[in-house]
Amino acid sequence: MISVKKLSYAFKIGKKGKENIVPVLHDINLHIERGEIVAIVGRSGSGKSTLLNLISGFIQPEVGSISIDHTQVSGFSETDWADFRLNHLGFIFQSFQLIPSMTAFENVEFPLVLKGVGEQERKQTTIEMLRRVGLESFIHHYPSELSGGQQQRVSIARALILNPPLLLADEPTGSLDSENEKELLSFIKELNKEYGITFLIITHDHEVASIAHRKVEIIDGSLREGRMLHEVQR
Amino acid sequence: MKFKDKHRFVRSNMKKNKTRVWMTILASTIGCAFLIMLASIGFAIHKTAVDDVMSFRMVNEILIHKDSGEITEKDVKNLEQIKGVEAVTRKKFTPANQLSIGEYYTYANVMSAHMPSEEKAGFELEKGRMPKNENEIVVGYHFAKELRKDMPENFVEGLSEEDAQKKMNELSYDGDLLNTTLAYHIKVDNPEIKADASVKTLEVKIVGIRKKPAREWAVDASVFITEDLHNQVIKILAELDPQAEFADSYEEVKVFTASADDVKEVTEKIENLDYQTYSIIKELKKMNVYFTLFKAGLIFIGAIAVLIASIGIFNTMTMAVTERSQDIGIMKAIGATPKTIKGIFLLESGYIGLWGVGLGTLLAYIISYAVNFVLPIIMEQFVGEKAPEGFMISYIPWSLTAIAVTICMSVTLISGWRPAAKATTVDVLKALRRDV
Repeated sequence: MISVKKLSYAFKIGKKGKENIVPVLHDINLHIERGEIVAIVGRSGSGKSTLLNLISGFIQPEVGSISIDHTQVSGFSETDWADFRLNHLGFIFQSFQLIPSMTAFENVEFPLVLKGVGEQERKQTTIEMLRRVGLESFIHHYPSELSGGQQQRVSIARALILNPPLLLADEPTGSLDSENEKELLSFIKELNKEYGITFLIITHDHEVASIAHRKVEIIDGSLREGRMLHEVQR
Repeated sequence: MKFKDKHRFVRSNMKKNKTRVWMTILASTIGCAFLIMLASIGFAIHKTAVDDVMSFRMVNEILIHKDSGEITEKDVKNLEQIKGVEAVTRKKFTPANQLSIGEYYTYANVMSAHMPSEEKAGFELEKGRMPKNENEIVVGYHFAKELRKDMPENFVEGLSEEDAQKKMNELSYDGDLLNTTLAYHIKVDNPEIKADASVKTLEVKIVGIRKKPAREWAVDASVFITEDLHNQVIKILAELDPQAEFADSYEEVKVFTASADDVKEVTEKIENLDYQTYSIIKELKKMNVYFTLFKAGLIFIGAIAVLIASIGIFNTMTMAVTERSQDIGIMKAIGATPKTIKGIFLLESGYIGLWGVGLGTLLAYIISYAVNFVLPIIMEQFVGEKAPEGFMISYIPWSLTAIAVTICMSVTLISGWRPAAKATTVDVLKALRRDV
């Protein structure tokens, strides 16, 4: 599903011409199979979010290559990335990233709008999705009128609305209480089991990492493969 | 993203900042209205000038002059053979000009005309018909008013000019002249000829009254006689005064084309035959160059107001992009292309411009109507003078509206372009405030 080869990345800090080079990732090789839940763990500043941003296309790699779903994405233009994200990727963010001026319905519906799906079909699909995440009675609520757990569910509904094969989650439980966290993790497991959706989760929370089939740790920009879930459980 | 969805999205965004958006629309409205109003003054002056010129002559009329000599019947035949010529009217001024009915008389402007050509050229009658026989004539609409009795002594003494004029009207003939017979006095002004031998009188019948002139103030008291009658008058004058000489040429020759479009081509052909021409199209061409420059100048000054309004649009859109940078970041993260984002912001500035242009044009039409309606009244009240007939202070033709709409919309889109382009460069990670 995801294949990262010899990926290195460094931030350039300072004025142009007098930049300081700060290496973040070094020679990363990672292969994720379809249907896997992979947790990337590591300390703050280790480069785990940078890896996710590279895989998401929010930043472009200078060395190495990334391919997702058999598509070589490194070297994509901004427009190509936008199209690819819309059709292949779903995102779950720590701070939900819902558009505050839109209702829960409009937030979830938005990817369908971008894709140019007809109004009737959009309405039906969105309501169905909101029902699936248990928010059918909150469709006209704005994000500010929803709890953290409910906002995260809206965010998940938005991520799932176009049935992407891959979901990228950056600290998905970071803003949730323990009860909502449990609920979210069981939902991720359910989605993985029922629909075969691949998950790449960035977390420093062991509870979250525990649902992954595989744990990958980043230490000082280098990747160290962890044990498989069943091994951990054993 | 479909246009309908973009429209809905933009409308919803605009509603959130109603006051700011409406203030920007107001600025655009004023800018657009100012542009149209300012230019409309130029258009009104141009129109008044053109109407004024055209009220005296017809568009398809070409006045002919010949430097190398007099225009004779041979020349007329030549002109009639030119392709595109509808009619050639020719007039000779008849020296004898006193006409009377009973105690009423007048000295009129008598001219012979070739009646079939005049009919073709659009000679219109108020009533009656064109002359068919030699002693039949057509008179101008105001001819009866000019037929007056002798004024008694001290008739208008002590009266103001206006009252004197009114009193003079009491002396004018007030009956219907159609089918009336007049005495046409043919007289020579030669002191060597005895008075009783210097006059001969013919009877002429008025068979038609010419149509009232389009201009309220114009007075038409002329008399049109047939060419045969003219020849007879000249013959009589020659008999009365054998020493007198009378030219046999036309004093006024005009060529009429089938349509205004033919004027240019026919004019060229006539000039190739060594005639000089003068047409309204020629006059208008020179006039149009001057007025086009004048109007362009006014539009340029008006466009400055639109430019100032566009700064408002630029500010509003820049603020909108800054305020919505997080939304833009989320949209980009989900999968909105730069084209979609640019399209959304361009549409928003376009709508502001469209509202501004729409309301500005409407406002300009209202002000234009009000100014044209109210100012003549104010002028009459305070200056005591009536505005000339057909006078306009402001005139907005559709072409001015089209020019103004094009300028305003172009300026609006240009001013909205940079903020829209800026929106596409919003950094997703910065917008999402993520820890990189």
